[in-house]
Amino acid sequence: MPVPSLRPRRGLDPRAKILLVIGCSIVVMSPAGLRFVPFALLLAIGLALGERDWRRAASLPAAAGVMWVLGWWLPLWWPNALTAVVSLACVYLIRFVVAIGVGAHVIVTTSPTQLAAALRIWRIPRPFAVTLAVMLRFFPVVGAEANAVLDAMRLRGLVGAGGLLRHPVLSVERFTVPMIAASLRASEDLSASAILRGLGSRRKPTAMQPPRFATPDLVLVLVTATLTTAALTLPAPLS
Amino acid sequence: MSANPSTQGQAETGARPFSLRLSARDLLRVAIFAVIFIVATYVIGMLGIISPLVWLLIVPLQAIVGGVTVLLFLTRVRHAGMLTLFGVVVAMFYLVGGNTLLSSTGIVGLGLVAELILWAGRYRSKWAMIWAYTVFGLSFFTPFLPLLVDRTAYLASSNFTDMGKAYVHASDTLLSVPVISLLACIVLASSFLGGVFGSAILGKHFVRAGLA
Repeated sequence: MPVPSLRPRRGLDPRAKILLVIGCSIVVMSPAGLRFVPFALLLAIGLALGERDWRRAASLPAAAGVMWVLGWWLPLWWPNALTAVVSLACVYLIRFVVAIGVGAHVIVTTSPTQLAAALRIWRIPRPFAVTLAVMLRFFPVVGAEANAVLDAMRLRGLVGAGGLLRHPVLSVERFTVPMIAASLRASEDLSASAILRGLGSRRKPTAMQPPRFATPDLVLVLVTATLTTAALTLPAPLS
Repeated sequence: MSANPSTQGQAETGARPFSLRLSARDLLRVAIFAVIFIVATYVIGMLGIISPLVWLLIVPLQAIVGGVTVLLFLTRVRHAGMLTLFGVVVAMFYLVGGNTLLSSTGIVGLGLVAELILWAGRYRSKWAMIWAYTVFGLSFFTPFLPLLVDRTAYLASSNFTDMGKAYVHASDTLLSVPVISLLACIVLASSFLGGVFGSAILGKHFVRAGLA
């Protein structure tokens, strides 16, 4: 019987992922960024498929498709001021969909220790590196608390855009107060544990798996270069 | 919220108000509140997916939601640097999450100005906290900054000109400097309300629960 390998699958170098997402954000959000949107969307879908995250791989083209229909086709089918406003917002928001799609890959696939090791190699000052790594650790905790509060509100019929628009302040209070209180209580244990394990220590820690440029990063560089060339040379479908 | 909530915290951290030395616990506090701030505003912002028009209405509401988190965070700020660090990490996270470089730089700048206001109140004044958040709340306006700074380039895109006169007229009006400035004023007013609302919520819930 084959023994499963205990070595985890080596993914992309966290530094490559961070540079990729910042590069994508800058390019896609620039005034001429619509030209790059379809290619960055392909990249984001490819990254999701590479991680076998089928939900993200399906939701990204769905969200971009809705923005495309509302932004490019709706004002042609039904031209009036309202559809023009909706279209304008969608033309701007489609850039966010793509940039968030690439960013989601970094957030989902990078562990706090990998991020801390990458930031240490870049010599990012300790307060920023430690805080960012801890943030990555806390996101699932706070996200779970927020979902629990939303579930409880849903059971009581308190969730919905109608209720939020009718009683915005009350809705905000009902959501934020239990969410913050629960998150703070959950964070106390995590904080104590993190400090006991040496978080924030001034001694330089070592990484079990130091970030290294490997074959997946080379593939990423080649794919990104190909998509960038295609975006610059092929006719732009969105602009 | 107490206007002078300091002595316990000073004993707890041993920090002087104007020291820039951040302890591990300070860094954890900044990280926790930054995550709560991002998640709370993101959950409210997700409602904007229903329609882009709702998205525009949601932005002031996000500024109000952020007020509760930031005011609670500011009651735990004991010395200089924590609010600036909060602004920097939130900006860096937004940059990774799809924000523009201009917008993220704006958030860092707002964090610095808010820190100065807090410093002027010696990190203990309730009204300094509210005004500091009023300034920092403008971070919800920063995603619109590129439209203000590079409006001509955004409007030059050919799809704006292919869709008829009504479309071009609507886009010209909607992306005009007065409309975007009005949005900035609405976000500023909402941030102030968020600060006052956050302060009231602290007194009503968190002080009673021993969390502020």
